[in-house]
Amino acid sequence: MRVTIADYGVGNLHSVKKAFEISGAKAAVTSDMKELLGAECIVFPGVGAFDSTMERLAPYKEKIKERLLSGVPALGICIGAQILFDSSEEGVSEGMGAFRGRIVRLSAERVPHMGWNSVMTSDPLMDGIRERQFYFAHSYRCSAEDPNDTVGVTEYEGREFSSLFRTANTYGTQFHPEKSAVSGLALIRNFIDFAEDNR
Amino acid sequence: MLMKRIIPCLDVKNGKVVKGVNFIDLKDMGSPPLLAEEYSDQGADEITFLDIAASLEYRQTTLDLVSETARRVFVPLTVGGGIRSADDMRDALNAGADKVSVNSAAIGNPEIISESAERFGRQCVVVAIDAKWTGKHWEVLSHGGTRPTGLEAVGWAKKAEELGAGEILLTSVDADGVKDGFDIPLNNAVADEVGIPVIASGGCGKMEDFYEVFTQTDVSAALAASVFHYKQFTVGEVKEYLKDKGVPVR
Repeated sequence: MRVTIADYGVGNLHSVKKAFEISGAKAAVTSDMKELLGAECIVFPGVGAFDSTMERLAPYKEKIKERLLSGVPALGICIGAQILFDSSEEGVSEGMGAFRGRIVRLSAERVPHMGWNSVMTSDPLMDGIRERQFYFAHSYRCSAEDPNDTVGVTEYEGREFSSLFRTANTYGTQFHPEKSAVSGLALIRNFIDFAEDNR
Repeated sequence: MLMKRIIPCLDVKNGKVVKGVNFIDLKDMGSPPLLAEEYSDQGADEITFLDIAASLEYRQTTLDLVSETARRVFVPLTVGGGIRSADDMRDALNAGADKVSVNSAAIGNPEIISESAERFGRQCVVVAIDAKWTGKHWEVLSHGGTRPTGLEAVGWAKKAEELGAGEILLTSVDADGVKDGFDIPLNNAVADEVGIPVIASGGCGKMEDFYEVFTQTDVSAALAASVFHYKQFTVGEVKEYLKDKGVPVR
C-alpha cells in the first residue's frame, strides 16, 4: 500500500511518514495537492491551524472531496481530520466538507486538552488494540451533523466529545496515532490493512 | 479520562545529557537519543529535551540531536533551551519537535509567544518558567535560573496564557536537584490560576513525590530527570505505583 501524505507547508511530517513506513506502507509526502487526486490512499497529517492547512488544499477541494466520498481510503489526523468538515470557529476558510459539521472550541476548564486519553469505540479500526489510550493536543473539537459519522468518543472533564470519525472509507482521528506509541502504531497498521481491503 | 503524564527530561549540554544540583555541578549521563528511546520504551508519556548550554556554536548540533531523538521515539517530544525567536521555534519543529518551550527570550520579548502561537498553533507553544520563593512571592528567574527578573511567577504564567501559551513548564529553582519533592505551594499557586496544563518540575527524588504532586495539586504532568537517569526507578515502575494508588496513568 502506498500512502500519499499531504504537505500543507506548515509543519514537520517526519513522524507521520515514519509511523506509516514502520507499519509497512510506502509513504510519499507531496506538496502538490493535485497528486492527492490520483493517490490510492491519502493521509491528512495533524499540523498547522485550520486556515493555513486549507490554503494549498482549497483549489482542489471539490475534487478531493469527490475522491473521498467515492471511497478512496483516507486518514485525517487532528487538524487533518478537522479540515475534512465544513467549517471551523478557528478560521474563516471553508473545509473539505467530506464530513458535514463544524469545528467548535472545546468547552472545558483546561484547554488545550493535552495528553493521553481513552477512545471508546467498537469500530474495527481498533481491533486487537487493548490499551486504547492515545495522545491528544487540541483546543477545538469536531461537531458532526450526522451521528453515524462519529464512531468513537472520549471523555474530558466529565463530558464526552467525538474523537473518531468515519464516512465512506475516510477516517478522522482527533488524536495523534503517530505520537501514541504502541497503540498508535497498531491503529496505523489496522488502517493500512483497511486501506488495502478497500482500494 | 485524561491521564496524568510522566515526562523524563533530558538536560543536554554539548551533545550529552547532564544532571546537576541547582543547575550547577553537572555530570554526564549519556546520549540523548538513546536515553529518550529507553524512556519511551519504559512508557514515558512525552520526552522533554532541554539544551541547557544553548550556545550558538552548538545550535546545529542540537538540532541534529533533536532529529535523531525524534526518529527514535513515538511519543511527543518537547524541545527547549536557547529559543530566541519564532524562527528558532520553527527550526526546532522542523527538526522533529512536537512542542517547543521558550523561557528567557519570552521574558524579554513576550510577543514571541503570540507570534509562535499564531504560526504554529498554541498546542506547540510551551512557556517554561523558573521560579524562586523570595519570602513574599515566587520570582521568575531567567538564563537557566541565574538572573532575577523582578517578574512575579503567577502573574507571568497568566500573561503567558493570555498571549497564547498552550502549556506551562514550571520549575521550582528552590526544589530543583534537591530531591525533596515537588514544590507543592508553587504548583498550586500557578495551576489554580491558569486554564492551560501545567507541568510540575524540580525536586522529584522518589516515587511518592509523583503521588504527592498529582494528589495535592491540579498539575497535568510531572517532569523528572535524575531519578530516571540514576535508575532509581523506571518510568514503568512509577506508573505501576501510581496506578495502584488510584492515580490515572497510562
